[in-house]
Amino acid sequence: MKDFTHTRKEAGLKTHPVAEMYAAEHKAGKLDRREFLVRSTALGLTATAAYSLIGTTPAMAEGHRAVPGEGGSLRIQMEVRALKDPRTYDWSQMGNVTRGIVEYLVQYNNDGSFEGVLLDSWEANEDATVYTLNVRQGITFNNGDPFNAEDVAANLIGFCDSTVEGNSMATRMGGLVDPDTGVARDGAIEVVDEYTVRVTYPSPDITFIPGIADYPSAIQHRDMVGTNPADHGIGTGAYMITNYEVGVSATLTRNPDHTYWRDTYLDEIVFVDLGQDPAAWFAAAEADEFDMTYETVGEFIDLFDAIGWNKGEVVTAATVVIRPNQNNAPYDDVRVRRAIQLAVDNQVCLDLGVNGQGVVAENHHVCPIHPEYAELPPLVFDPEAARALLEEAGHADTEFELVSIDDDYRKNTTDAVAAQLRDAGFNVTRTIIPGSTFWNDWTSYPFSSTNWNHRELGVMILNLAYRTGVPWNETAFSNEEFDTLLTEANGIQDADARRVVMERLEQIMQEEGVTIQPYWRSLFNHARPGVVNGSMHAKFEMNPHYLGFEA
Amino acid sequence: MGAFILRRTGVMILTAICLTIVVFFLTNLFPNLEKLAKTQGNARMSDEEVVSWLDRNGYGGPMLFRYGEWLGVMPGWTREDPETGEITGRCIDFGTDPADAPTRCGLLQGDLGFSTVSDEDVANVLPGRLLLTLKLMGWAFGLMVPAALLVGVLAGMREGSRLDRSLSTLSIASTATPEYVSGVIFIVLFASTTAGVSGALTEWGWLGGDGWLGDRRTLFLGSARSAMEDITFWNFTLPVVTIALYGMGYIARMTRASMAEVMTAQYIRTARLKGVSFRNIVLKHALRNALIAPFTVIMLQFPWLLTGVVIVETLFNYNGFGWTMVQAASNNDIELLLACSIVAVFVVLLTQLISDIGYVFLNPRIRIS
Repeated sequence: MKDFTHTRKEAGLKTHPVAEMYAAEHKAGKLDRREFLVRSTALGLTATAAYSLIGTTPAMAEGHRAVPGEGGSLRIQMEVRALKDPRTYDWSQMGNVTRGIVEYLVQYNNDGSFEGVLLDSWEANEDATVYTLNVRQGITFNNGDPFNAEDVAANLIGFCDSTVEGNSMATRMGGLVDPDTGVARDGAIEVVDEYTVRVTYPSPDITFIPGIADYPSAIQHRDMVGTNPADHGIGTGAYMITNYEVGVSATLTRNPDHTYWRDTYLDEIVFVDLGQDPAAWFAAAEADEFDMTYETVGEFIDLFDAIGWNKGEVVTAATVVIRPNQNNAPYDDVRVRRAIQLAVDNQVCLDLGVNGQGVVAENHHVCPIHPEYAELPPLVFDPEAARALLEEAGHADTEFELVSIDDDYRKNTTDAVAAQLRDAGFNVTRTIIPGSTFWNDWTSYPFSSTNWNHRELGVMILNLAYRTGVPWNETAFSNEEFDTLLTEANGIQDADARRVVMERLEQIMQEEGVTIQPYWRSLFNHARPGVVNGSMHAKFEMNPHYLGFEA
Repeated sequence: MGAFILRRTGVMILTAICLTIVVFFLTNLFPNLEKLAKTQGNARMSDEEVVSWLDRNGYGGPMLFRYGEWLGVMPGWTREDPETGEITGRCIDFGTDPADAPTRCGLLQGDLGFSTVSDEDVANVLPGRLLLTLKLMGWAFGLMVPAALLVGVLAGMREGSRLDRSLSTLSIASTATPEYVSGVIFIVLFASTTAGVSGALTEWGWLGGDGWLGDRRTLFLGSARSAMEDITFWNFTLPVVTIALYGMGYIARMTRASMAEVMTAQYIRTARLKGVSFRNIVLKHALRNALIAPFTVIMLQFPWLLTGVVIVETLFNYNGFGWTMVQAASNNDIELLLACSIVAVFVVLLTQLISDIGYVFLNPRIRIS
């Protein structure tokens, strides 16, 4: 065993039988590079090894980072929210601040690859039930304690604790959580030796690595799991919080008493909260109050371009759904749901909702950049057929109340859907609810819109949002065939084999008229010329350790 | 006088209690608590989790009890975790021994409570924010009052003259333009690199690069955020002018009316017939009497400024008291909002008190008590 882990630690996992198969497929042109990277690095290959399998080097990859100059203070426009137990983080912004203190096991890169941070490497067995995690050696916490497998295990057990309200990591840990007790199953997480942890699933699960790369999965000191990093300040990162005023600003300063385990560049990062209004951000940009935006949306993309800032762009599986809830009449009638889909042209939603900045989607919530995406025949847009279907269902005069949050793109997209429904002869009322109260009932509105963030695999979002009875199932969709197939897909490591099942899952989503899922968003941000590594991340992540200014 | 002030203080406390009861009742309605739980816990929490969160954080008891806790007349809640045996409670701070914690901690004990949004004691949050707003108010006041009085007196001296008509038009226009309109106009005119004055100046090479203001490309700044630390002419002018302009017209109109009325009074006519110069009539005889009415209006501007700066503070990213209050309300930050309302009540009633006392000095015929 010891030898086994030793070689891994030094070199990272070089090959994996399934990964080799993927490499062959990539070379044969059956798999594009992004898909190849998502799949092979999720299995435990380092990005370098994955690239070498397909005969290219990471230097050519999109995910490769530049080396900034030493020192400087960078100001980032971003909401500054109150911090809490990282497992309950519900905004990427929280993770972006604390990433300077508490780091992650694995990070997700824009090219689709997973890269070890606190993990040196990892390895999945062939049916994805056992994961061997090799912890990076030589890391210490800023209080002087060494970081090792015990810390990793304590955090993984903490992730699995579904009795903590709002702990969204428990959903991501899936089968590791015992459904009866709500905490980690006995023996699911074992410390093998000082730098090795073994995770065992009862049934195959390919979402483990993506799950621990997400922003609520920050790794705390073994004694600090479940506490707020801002209260104790203990972590492996190079920075410390020197000022934190919610809604106003937060300052990270390089910790002078801590030897960080790798290079970092900036002396100080200031997060400046300028509220929700992009017009105010723009005014502040012109007044030289920050150097980089968290995200730039809509017409402001052009405006920031116009004042000479650099644009960062990434294509993602972030989206918005305008979904009926099947627990409410008339949406329990599949004809009504189909009619709604027929009456809406997704291209129009893309154009009016996000200024055309994205890619049209096909109402099944699986994105072309997902490895298991299966292509279906194009959607039909036919308002007349929609009207006929509606009359057939006896709802020609029913009033459809369409609810949305009060903001920019979600509201605009929902407006575009409402307008198209009206054009098709539906009787539609629009209701707009302020952001502060919208989330109170987000799963139970009869007909409303919700945004969903990017997920690395197609099955992840289907598990979270469309399986019978799961907490985030806002469509109240319940279909036995769908659930069975989804469970099957969760266990298929080979994306091609998974695609066969996925094709049927996508069809079910369309046949049942589960949701209008009109487009995939491209995400943008802007930075002043000279800012390095600040380009938009698919999951809104920023890593203070990578940021800097041109030397 | 003493009895009068005492009575006023009594009214002040009574008003504060009534207002806080209303605020407490509204913020503690279940949908608002649910919103609180979801902002604090996780935006996508389930209903059972919300109930358990509320219970665990002391929002479970009857509303009157909790109001009592906030006032400090009821003992603060405590709760023992059934599994770990850990004791948490309203008065037990993070990291302190439950045995050492006081039983009551509320307003009477001088504890304003805990802001859920900023995760800090209200007593630590409010003073800084109030100070920021006071600075903004101070500058706005310093600009607004003298300017308004000057305009009002000049206009009221000779009713119906050309000067009166033009100044009156100006003050009506300024009062009729709300801050969110004038503020935006100012930003476009003076603080945009591409439009308005700054744009033109840049084109002529007076701004940007080697212009007058270093490499800055706008004349004024459209964001007063840097003024929170360091107030300069360039970053504070726009918000101050925006506020001052709106309040100015109103005071000027009141002053003008009052001045015009005084100028027609018997004693002014007598003074004129006696040959006193116009200048002396205005300065020595008319002004003091003419200032009584605008004085009330000026005092009324204080509470308006305190809460009315909301728009300007938001527009210019200046995180003062008005901004804090809006944040507290939208996040259902119960104890912060309660503290804000107490501050607001005190400011309103205190300025009223000052204006009542000020009357005595302006008009000796008025006797208080």
